[in-house]
Amino acid sequence: MAMKVVALAGNPNVGKTTVFNALTGMRQHVGNWPGVTVEKKEGVFEYKGERFLVVDLPGTYSLTAHSIDELVARNFLLNGNPDVIVNIVDATSILRNLFLTMEIFDMGLKNVVIALNKMDLAEKRGIKIDIRKMAETLGVPVVPMSAKEGVGIEELKETVYNVAHGKVRPNPVTPTYDPDVEREIRHISMALSQTELTERYPVRWLAIKLLQRDDEVMKLVLRYLGEEKLKEIMGHIGEAEAKYGRAMDLILASQKYEFIDNLMHRFIRYTKSEGINLTDQLDRLLIHPLYGFLALGIVFYVVFKFVFAIGLPLQGVLDDSFSAFGEWLAPHIASETLRGLLVDGIIGGVGAVLSFFPLVFLLFLSLSVLEDVGYMARVAVLMEKLMRKFGLPGKAVIPLILGLGCNVPAVMATRTLDEERDRLVAMFVNPFIPCSARLSVISFISGAFFAKHHALVAVSVYLLAIVVALLSARFVSTFLVKGEETPFVIELPDYLIPSWKTVLLHSWERSKEFVQKAGTVILFGSIFIWYLSNYPLPVGTGSSYAEKIGMFFEPYMKLMSLDWKAAVSLLFGIIAKENVISTYGILYGSADALVNAMTPLQAYVLAVVTTLYIPCIATIAAIRAESNWRWAAIVTVYMIFVASLVGITVWHLGSVLGY
Amino acid sequence: MSIIDDVLEAILEGKKNPSEIASELKLDREEVEGAINILQSLGYVERIEKGSNACSSCPLKKVCGGSCVLPKSRTYVVTEKAFSLKNHSQ
Repeated sequence: MAMKVVALAGNPNVGKTTVFNALTGMRQHVGNWPGVTVEKKEGVFEYKGERFLVVDLPGTYSLTAHSIDELVARNFLLNGNPDVIVNIVDATSILRNLFLTMEIFDMGLKNVVIALNKMDLAEKRGIKIDIRKMAETLGVPVVPMSAKEGVGIEELKETVYNVAHGKVRPNPVTPTYDPDVEREIRHISMALSQTELTERYPVRWLAIKLLQRDDEVMKLVLRYLGEEKLKEIMGHIGEAEAKYGRAMDLILASQKYEFIDNLMHRFIRYTKSEGINLTDQLDRLLIHPLYGFLALGIVFYVVFKFVFAIGLPLQGVLDDSFSAFGEWLAPHIASETLRGLLVDGIIGGVGAVLSFFPLVFLLFLSLSVLEDVGYMARVAVLMEKLMRKFGLPGKAVIPLILGLGCNVPAVMATRTLDEERDRLVAMFVNPFIPCSARLSVISFISGAFFAKHHALVAVSVYLLAIVVALLSARFVSTFLVKGEETPFVIELPDYLIPSWKTVLLHSWERSKEFVQKAGTVILFGSIFIWYLSNYPLPVGTGSSYAEKIGMFFEPYMKLMSLDWKAAVSLLFGIIAKENVISTYGILYGSADALVNAMTPLQAYVLAVVTTLYIPCIATIAAIRAESNWRWAAIVTVYMIFVASLVGITVWHLGSVLGY
Repeated sequence: MSIIDDVLEAILEGKKNPSEIASELKLDREEVEGAINILQSLGYVERIEKGSNACSSCPLKKVCGGSCVLPKSRTYVVTEKAFSLKNHSQ
């Protein structure tokens, strides 16, 4: 006997996969739907000695033909002859979910069972659903479930069995529209009747889809009724739209939404303050134009405080370990050149960078927690509001936030912006956002020079970078590229307790890159810097290549009270920002020597200039690839100019204030 | 006018997130999100990929452990279809 076929339909994220797994266990097969690259999952379950084939349809919000997922789901429901359709509905957002249910009912399909999932969550939120009334109102069996906890699975199997065997005969409610729309549906239905089409498809559904100007149904009608008839019907629809002043698909969707809303009141009631859940309450504060920014400042201050409180002692231990290793190794190497290269160049340079691993890991850990909790999405909304005020396209907020990790993918992500103008502005501003590499430098300087206020100093550098980015956006959108913005909307996730496994894994993946970089770019950079600072004569003689290069730029650096060593460090920082630390490590020999050589104000200027002065070489290449050489050059020159201006201003302002 | 029309109009007017729209239309945030999903199905808004494309095409992909900081939000942009509707109604 052929197996009965059960189709699982539902919105994305309603727990469809959980239900599928609970029903089928390990008896699953994964492939593709014919002709498309949409995953097809099938599985088998046994109930009362009978085997059922379960087909998991792609998650969709409706059954229009706008996406391949919707088309696959729709075609299977229409042509796959499923014996039972299990429509999984999220009990916490019934209105949205029943839209798909009504689309299924519109098709005239009868054997529908509603699996009302996430009942536990709905109860927690004060949503009371009268299951019996819901089943009566909708005309189909409703099985309350909490699939994650395994609740309701057996009841679902029983209901599917009963429907498949005709022991329960569902009679789904037919979604109805206002009299004018119903008249249009009847009119088109009449035109379609007495054709072969009506033998294969429900005529009312065909009429509704034609009203929606559904491409696939229009093709069908063209094939069966010919061009003239299709033109006549579409002309009629055009007249109806003109009368309404709106597109028919929007009218039908709106009326369907109202129809559902009316039905819902018969079986659902909200015992707690509806809509004001924890997420909404927190959002009132966290995306508020004023409190939101205060909260943002506090959150990032706490993050840096946490990073420094735990990370700095660990960084000290690592730094001491590298120094001790160098001291232990030195007497074992007879060759002075090799000793210098290994101890001063590689261990001094790479070790100085690697000692910041705990800080980098802790920052990534904090960012991963903020991401997983859902807070970074709120940061995106806050920043977007601010950015729009400064003439930056709101949509550029995503690339900008990506820039906190690395500016290269952030520049690549500007591709998502439709307008050339938006892309150019976003690329222009993006390199100002301090990436994780610059974080190492900021941490290095904050930790070494500002023992008491390192978190505040780090936050202030970030803040300054963001202010400069916004002012630059205003500049570029006013003087260089102008245009209009495409409307868009950002949907925020609910706040969630983070999954520590995900957070730790994510943090490690990100931090690993830092170690890899230290073993490659920083290693070769350190060797090169060591060579430049020891040949033809060592640093201090005035004859090393490093001094010669640095001295060339020193008059310029003096404007912001920095010396030739800063010039050399910044120059090598173009390859990778961490090179700023390794260069200082090699040129000064130890962190103490560096601290004695600079004042805190000079160190702050260095932190600011390192953050703003120029994108790394990979970012410049990415800007060139996404625009052209000219734009990459403009961005680079502009950043050098702005970094110098800000550096000089900070130095003079700090001096006047007595720092 | 219904929720779906109102939400589309709010997006076209420049409202940027469901909470903002919900507060203006005196609706529940989830109702607004539902309407956005329906508008997506109808082709009036489309979801834009955030960083995944950027990451997969990034030249540093081989050496990068995944620096990208990706907020868990979903961003939708208004399509030509919605614009033509707006222009038609003006």
